[in-house]
Amino acid sequence: MNGPTGLDFAAIPDRIQSEVQRAIQRSIKGVEYFSSSGPTLGSTPKDVLHSRGTMSLYHYRPMSDEIYRVPVLVVMATTNRGYILDLVPGQSFIEFLLKRGYDVYMLDWSAPRPEEKSLRMEDYVLDFIPDCVRRVQADSGEQDVSVIGYCFGGVLSLLYGSIFPDGPMKNLICFTTPIDFREMKLFSNFSDRRYFDVDRLVDSVGNVPPEMILSSFEMLRPASRTVSQIQLWENIWNDEFVKSYRMFDRWATDTLPLAGEYFRTITKDLMWDNKLYNDTMSVGGRPAKLENIKVPMLHAVAEHDHIVPYEAAKHLIAKIGSDDKEEVMLKGGHVSLVAGANAVKRLWPKLDSWLGTRST
Amino acid sequence: MTDKITDPVALWQKMVGDMEKGFNSFATKAMETPEFSQAMNRAGGAAAGAQKQFGDLMEKYLLSMNLPSREQMTGIAERLQAIEGQIGEIKSMLSQMSANSGDAQIGVAPRPPRTKRPPSEGGEQK
Repeated sequence: MNGPTGLDFAAIPDRIQSEVQRAIQRSIKGVEYFSSSGPTLGSTPKDVLHSRGTMSLYHYRPMSDEIYRVPVLVVMATTNRGYILDLVPGQSFIEFLLKRGYDVYMLDWSAPRPEEKSLRMEDYVLDFIPDCVRRVQADSGEQDVSVIGYCFGGVLSLLYGSIFPDGPMKNLICFTTPIDFREMKLFSNFSDRRYFDVDRLVDSVGNVPPEMILSSFEMLRPASRTVSQIQLWENIWNDEFVKSYRMFDRWATDTLPLAGEYFRTITKDLMWDNKLYNDTMSVGGRPAKLENIKVPMLHAVAEHDHIVPYEAAKHLIAKIGSDDKEEVMLKGGHVSLVAGANAVKRLWPKLDSWLGTRST
Repeated sequence: MTDKITDPVALWQKMVGDMEKGFNSFATKAMETPEFSQAMNRAGGAAAGAQKQFGDLMEKYLLSMNLPSREQMTGIAERLQAIEGQIGEIKSMLSQMSANSGDAQIGVAPRPPRTKRPPSEGGEQK
C-alpha cells in the first residue's frame, strides 16, 4: 500500500533486507576487488609478425575451418592500446571476426620511447602502415587487404588510402573517425592557437605525456569519473558489473604518450587548420584528398559519442570518392560502439554482413 | 515489488545520474569559453615546464643513487617487448621458409583455405 508520501511501506522490509545483503556483499567483494588484478585482456592467441619501436603488427590465429580470401588489417588509435578490441572471450571484436572466418591482423602501438619524439605524421602514414600492409600481403599471400581504423586509427587509414589510391587497400572501414576538427568543440578550445603554444610544449617535453592526453579526455566529462566510482561501489556485489568496470577502466587509463612531432602536426594541420576537411592536407608533400579514396567504405558512428561528436564525423562519407559507401549510426558511445555487450549485438553483426560480401 | 518512483535506492541513483549530466553540461559550457582555454593553457604550460624540470632533477638524483628511473625501467620493458617481437618475427620467417620448402610449418597449425563465401552467397555460417 502506498502512503501519502508515495512510498510503498509494505515493500520496505524486503528492500531493507536486500540492501543489507548487498552492503555485506560490498564489504566482501570490496576486499576481493583490491586484492585481485582483474580479468586478463587481449588474450586471443596471436603471433607478433613484426615490431619496430612504437609499432607492432600482430597476426591472430584463425578460428575457422575456412577463411575469406581478403585479410583484414585493424589500425588502432595512437592514443590507446589495441586490447579494447580484444577484451575477454565473448566480448572480443577480434575473436568475433576470427570466428566469422576473417584472417585478422592488427597494427597496435606501444609508448614511443624518448628518442622516438621525432616521429612525424609521415612515419605513421608513409612508413608504418605501408610496411604493415606489405607484411600482411607477404604473410597471407594475398594482394588485397581490407583496413579497419578505429578513431584516430581511422584518420591514419584515411590519409593512407587517399595517398595510395591504387591499392592494395580493397575495403575501408572507419569507426568513429573525425574529419572536421572544428566540430570537436572542447578539444578545439583546449588547443586554441591564441593560447596553446604547441611548439613550446613539444620542445620542452619531447613526447606528450599520457597524463595530459588522459586529462584532456576526462575533461570532456569531468563528473563522470567520480560518478563511475560511486556506481562501482553501489554495484560491487555484482560480479559482471565489476568485471566490465575493470576492463574499461583499465583500458581508458592505459593512455599512451604521443610522439612530439606527430602531435605538433595533429595540432597545427588538423586542429588549427582543419586541413583534412578543407582538402588541403598533405603528408610528406603528398596530397591527401579524401575524394581519392575509391574503394568500398563503411563508416560507423555512435549516437552518443562525446569524444568524436557526430558533427565532426558526418561529412566523411560525402567527401569520399567511392560509389560504394555507407554510414551507419548506432546507439552507444565512443567506446561502447566497438566494445562491450552492445557492440556484440549492434556493430559487429553489421560489419560482418557488410565486409563478408566484399572479402571474397 | 517497488517501482522506480517509490524505490529510494532508484531515486538516489536517478539523482546521481541527473547530477552527473547537469555538472557535465555546466562544465562543458564553461570549458567552451576562450577564457577557460587561456587559463588552462597558462597553467598547463607552467605545469609542463615544471614537470620537465622536476623529471630532470629526479633523474639526476636517481643516477647519483645508482638507481634506474621509471623511464629507464619502461625502456627496458619496451626493449624486452622488442626482443619478443623479433623472436616472433624469426618464428614467422622460419614458418614461411618451412612452408616454401614444402614441409609442415614449425610449431604453427596449417592455415585454413581462403575459400569462405558469405552466407548471402550460399556460404555456411559456422
